[in-house]
Amino acid sequence: MLLLPAFLTYLLCIASWILGAATTGQTQEEHVREFFGKNGANTTSSHTNNWAVLVCASRYWFNYRHMANTLGMYRTVKRLGIPDSNIILMLADDTACNSRNKFPGSVYANAGRRLDLYGDNIEVDYRGYEVTVENFIRVLTGRVEESVPRSKRLLTDDRSNVFVYMTGHGGNEFLKFQDNEEISAFDIADAFEQMWQKKRYNEIFFMIDTCQANTMYSKFYSPNILATGSSEIEENSYSHENDNDIGVAVIDAFTHYVLEFMEGINKTSQTSMRDLFNSYDFNKINSHAGVRSDSFPRPLDRTLITDFFGGVAQVEVLPPNTDWYGAPSKELPTLISTRSETENHRLNKIPQPETRSGVSPVRWRGSGSMRAWGSLCLVGLLIGWVAVAKK
Amino acid sequence: MTSGVTIPALVAGRLLVSLLPLPDALQHDHQLSSPLTSYSRLQEGIYLFKNGIDPYSGGVFRHSPLFLSLFSTLLPTSRVTSSILWTLCDAVGALALIRIWRARQRVSSSSRDGLIGAVYLLNPYLFLPTLALSTSTFENTLTLLSIMFASEGQISASLLTLAFLIQLSLPSLLLVVPLFMLLVGDPVSRLASPAPISSDLRKTIPMLFEFMVYSIVLVLASTLVSGSWAWIPNTWGLGLTLPDLTPNPGLWWYFFTEMFDHFRPFFLVVFSVHLIIYVFPICIKFQHDPLFAAFILLGILATFKPYPTLSDPGLFISMIALFPEIYPYLRHPIVTTLLHLHASLLLPLFHHLWLTQGTGNANFFYAITLVFGVSNGAALIDCIYAGLRIAIGKGDGFEVVQE
Repeated sequence: MLLLPAFLTYLLCIASWILGAATTGQTQEEHVREFFGKNGANTTSSHTNNWAVLVCASRYWFNYRHMANTLGMYRTVKRLGIPDSNIILMLADDTACNSRNKFPGSVYANAGRRLDLYGDNIEVDYRGYEVTVENFIRVLTGRVEESVPRSKRLLTDDRSNVFVYMTGHGGNEFLKFQDNEEISAFDIADAFEQMWQKKRYNEIFFMIDTCQANTMYSKFYSPNILATGSSEIEENSYSHENDNDIGVAVIDAFTHYVLEFMEGINKTSQTSMRDLFNSYDFNKINSHAGVRSDSFPRPLDRTLITDFFGGVAQVEVLPPNTDWYGAPSKELPTLISTRSETENHRLNKIPQPETRSGVSPVRWRGSGSMRAWGSLCLVGLLIGWVAVAKK
Repeated sequence: MTSGVTIPALVAGRLLVSLLPLPDALQHDHQLSSPLTSYSRLQEGIYLFKNGIDPYSGGVFRHSPLFLSLFSTLLPTSRVTSSILWTLCDAVGALALIRIWRARQRVSSSSRDGLIGAVYLLNPYLFLPTLALSTSTFENTLTLLSIMFASEGQISASLLTLAFLIQLSLPSLLLVVPLFMLLVGDPVSRLASPAPISSDLRKTIPMLFEFMVYSIVLVLASTLVSGSWAWIPNTWGLGLTLPDLTPNPGLWWYFFTEMFDHFRPFFLVVFSVHLIIYVFPICIKFQHDPLFAAFILLGILATFKPYPTLSDPGLFISMIALFPEIYPYLRHPIVTTLLHLHASLLLPLFHHLWLTQGTGNANFFYAITLVFGVSNGAALIDCIYAGLRIAIGKGDGFEVVQE
């Protein structure tokens, strides 16, 4: 009995698939462009998900500001929509509960201690002695041991935009890791090249706040990398301010002004990278912040901040079903496009066959109250018969 | 203690209490009502039915369709009328208990009538579920009515009320065997002198047919109300498939929350068969006193039912009043009473601690559920022992005196 409608729906599926496949070609590209263009008229982005790798390469109490730098970036990136599952946060994490911290359990980034960046809702993936050069390169390239849990892996694909932020003590083409070892600009460049070969990123935005930071991105040779640093060669990067009660510097100047710029950004913002880079001011930062965009394919004024800092999701709102019993509506549903954590599907509009969901609603044969009276009469008859006729 | 004064006084007192403004939390309490008996679910089902939606299509309404027909036509479901109806139901149950007692003693009235009525009406295990408007009151009343008609020899009425009871609660099928034995025998106490069953068991066959006819008519009436056969898996199937794991004072729910799906069918079968295996041993051992067998099986139902409430052990405890001959032979009545006291005081406490306050967890409540099961089991074992011990008779020079 069910065979005939099942066979008909199967034929319908095949027919619509063939039809959809036959109309690919020209319209396919338009579909893709339209899908990616939904973020706004001013964008040329081609990513579907966002990741962030935030590294603080220093430890000890007097490097409080590096911890605050990274936590400030973490907070901004989370606020703009990248979830914890897409953020790899590497911190020495010895500041908040340090015995020298007058405000235990808190990390502040400004002199008035207005905003606690530590809070009770942060997820540090690599902490303490796990923040090593080897782990950093393993995270980037994906060559981690089998026992490493998912939260500590960078699970990017070829449509991921990755934001890599590093801060600490650095020098000419090197960055000091945990007062113990150093990573060189060549190492990072090779790691990025491995990522490119393995198709582990769509675009990378590399930001670094150390002394002589711009040297760290001078050695990149992979495509689609946009980089910015806080100071030129032979130049120091300076901290921004001290807090008198904490007793150490709480934030670096470059990161402070970048974060201040970010405070004006929300998820729907159309502010471009060009605006960010134009906001760099030597008088405020006290060092020459640099930008390297030669391998970056898109124009910077058409590249949004949220392409790297945010995890923007697109939602299409479909009209509500009007059928009372919940049977699927007659219109063919369009695909809901999202821009977070989805693969790049083939965008055929596959029409859904009209199927009934598992439990079909019962059609009332006759009104309910009539049936209730009917059954009540039946029961009453039974009781009456037993009471009267039988002993 | 004349029953003519006490029973109306108690009923009036209960009416008064039930009409007082009671907290609504009582209706949602997990000890007093289960998914099968909850008043709020009944109201939900009636509302859905009145608005043309099948109440059995969701997982909310688990009552029998006969409730739908009753409450959507004859009886309104406001709080006042429901309280009055439930209290009157309990009063009918108390009267049924008194008449069972009289039939057992072969007297038309006795001095203990008032006491027995009071034991039923004042039992907190029965009083509180009635205040919570749990439909287990109907189940208890129908059980007592069925046993009463059987004790008085009215076969058809007994079978009809039993058929109604099965409609409301499938596990009560356990009562079919002792009830049939009661119908062909009599309720008089023969615990002290056991003998093989003297009445003709072949007379039960036409009774079986009559019972089947009544059941089929009621099933048809239920199907007519609900419009489809969907009510069967949603009411009767509940005890067999256990889809709803709401906490209750029973032993099933916790077990099945932590059960792997792979073993679920096996353990459902085990638990269901566990209920059934008690029927024939108890009926064979107490074939000389089928009323006592019914009493013991009610106790087993109370302990091992899929969705018990407090009213099931309440019925069992109140029915102990019918068997004063076993009191001298109870070995540990005080321990049982204290266990019951312990469990009944801690059940609501740990329930509150777990679900309201959040400082406890389910293990607290489950532990007290286990203690409650132990206390029911202790009462059962004591009663079975005493029922058998009487037969051994006097040994120490004491004489058993029946009132």
